Amino acid sequence: MRHRRAFIVTALLLAGLTTLGLVAAGCGTEKATAPASDVQSQIARLQRSTSLLQRQIDLASGKDFYLVLDPAAGDITLVLSGAELQRYPVLGLQMGQPRVSWVTRPDPRTWQDIVWAHGELDPPRQIDRFVMQAAPPTKEGTEATPPVPPTPEEMYPVPSRYHVRFDDGLSIEIRPLDTDAEAGRWAKLRAWFTAKWHDAKDAAFDRERDAVRLRIALNPKDAASLYRSLPPAVRLLILSGDQKKVPPRT
Amino acid sequence: MDPSPNSPTGRSGTPETGGPEPPPAASPGAAPPTTPSPAPLPIAAPARVRRLGPIPLDRRTATAAGVVVAVLLVVGIAWAGTGYRYDPYIEKPAAVTGKVPTTDRELKQFATRLDRRSRELTARLKATAPRGVYIVIDQTQNRIYLKRDEDTLLDARCSAGSGLVLKETGGKNRQWVFDTPRGRFEVLTLLRNPVWAKPDWAFVEDGQPIPRNPADRLESGTLGEYALYFGNGFMIHGTLYERLLGRAVSHGCIRVGRDDLRKVWANARIGMHIYIY
Repeated sequence: MRHRRAFIVTALLLAGLTTLGLVAAGCGTEKATAPASDVQSQIARLQRSTSLLQRQIDLASGKDFYLVLDPAAGDITLVLSGAELQRYPVLGLQMGQPRVSWVTRPDPRTWQDIVWAHGELDPPRQIDRFVMQAAPPTKEGTEATPPVPPTPEEMYPVPSRYHVRFDDGLSIEIRPLDTDAEAGRWAKLRAWFTAKWHDAKDAAFDRERDAVRLRIALNPKDAASLYRSLPPAVRLLILSGDQKKVPPRT
Repeated sequence: MDPSPNSPTGRSGTPETGGPEPPPAASPGAAPPTTPSPAPLPIAAPARVRRLGPIPLDRRTATAAGVVVAVLLVVGIAWAGTGYRYDPYIEKPAAVTGKVPTTDRELKQFATRLDRRSRELTARLKATAPRGVYIVIDQTQNRIYLKRDEDTLLDARCSAGSGLVLKETGGKNRQWVFDTPRGRFEVLTLLRNPVWAKPDWAFVEDGQPIPRNPADRLESGTLGEYALYFGNGFMIHGTLYERLLGRAVSHGCIRVGRDDLRKVWANARIGMHIYIY
C-alpha cells in the first residue's frame, strides 16, 4: 500500500515536472526563434521577388511577346520588350486541377515562379488567305479588285471559352463573364455540356494536356480582344501576390 | 395422348369451351380403349406477361434493366465528378532557396543585400520600358494607339496587311504575301508629302508592265500627308480609302485616317518605338 502511494506521487511529480519543462522549452524556443523566422520569411520573399524581377528583365530583353499575370493587381498584360501593349482587368482567377471520379489529382510540377513558354490559342484563330492570280500585263492594265475583307469581329468569331496552352501541360482558360447571359436555355445547356465533355475527356484521358490550369474570367469585350490579338508562341509569367479580392463569379 | 393445342395443359392458351375435350375418333384398325382416359384436371391459367413492344416485362428483363440503370448511374456519378476542380488562386508560400547564413547577424546582412538587389532590378526593369511617346498597333483588330507611359493619347482605327497572296502570271512567277510584320520597330525616316515609289507587286496587281525607268514608279498623293518609315518597305501613312479603315486591306503598311495621322505626326520623332502585335 505504501509502495503504491509512493509510486503514484513520484509519477505525478515527474509528469508535472516534464510538462512544465516542455512548456518552458516551447516558450523558450518560440522566443528564441521568432526573430530568425521573421528574417527567414523576409529572405524568402526577397528571393522570390528578385527571381521574378530577373525573369521579367530577361523577358523584356527578348523578342517574344509575353503575358504578365498580376494576381495582386488583378490584371493580365500583353507585353513586348518591356512595353505594355494591352492590359486586361482580371475579374476572377481560379486554379484548376484534374479530377477523375471525384478524386482530385494534384500535379507536383512547378508552375509558379517560372516562365510558361510557347502559348498557343485553342481553338486556334483561323486565317483564311485570299489567293489572287494576277492578270497578264497589258498596256492599259487590268486593275484587279480583291474582295473587301470582313471586319475583325466578322472574321474571327470568339468561342464562349478558350484556352492558351503552354509547354509542359500548363494552360490558362479564358472565360468571358456573363457571355451567355442572353443565350437561350438550350444554347447554355449545349455550351455547358460541351465544356463538361472536353474537361472530362482531358482530365480522364489526357493527363499531360492540362495538368495545371488557371481559369481567368475577363470582361467579354476583353476576352474577345485577347483572342483576336494574341500573338503566337506567347509566354506567361505570374507575378507574386495573392488574388485581388473580386466577386467570386466565374 | 399428346395435348392438343387447345387442351388445358397446352401452353398457348385456354380451351374455347369449358367442358372436357371429346375423345378422338378411333381409327379403323385401332383397338378400342379398354378404359376411358380420365378427364384432365383443370389448371389455373398462367398470368399473362405484359410486353413493351418486343420486350417481355418479366423478372429477367427487370433484373437486366436494373443492372443497366445501376451501371449508368455509377458511370454518370463518376462522369459528373470527372473534369476539373477549381479553387481560388492562392500563391504558394515562398521558401528560402540556396545557401543562407545561419547566424542572426549574417541573416540580416544577407536580407539587406537582397533588398538592395531587388531595388536595382526594379530600376533595371523600369529602364526596359519605352521612354516618351510610342506607337502600338493591334494588326488583327486594326487599331493604332499612341501611348506615353501608362496614358493612351490616341486610340484610332487603322488598316493593317490583308494577308492576301498575289501570284504573278508569267514573268518570274513571283508571289507576294501582304502581311504586316509583328515585333518592335523604330521610326527610321519621317516623310512629309511622301511620294510612293511603287514596287513591282503594285504593277503586277494592276496588270501593268513593270517600268524600266525608276521615275515611272513614282506616285504622289497616295500615301497621304505624312509617312513614318520603319524599315523593309513598311510605313505608317495616310490613305485615300478612309471608308475601309478598321479592315485589313493594306499591302502590309499601316494606313491611318487623315486627322489621326496628324496627331501621330505631331508626336513623331526619329527613333520612336513602334510595337506591332
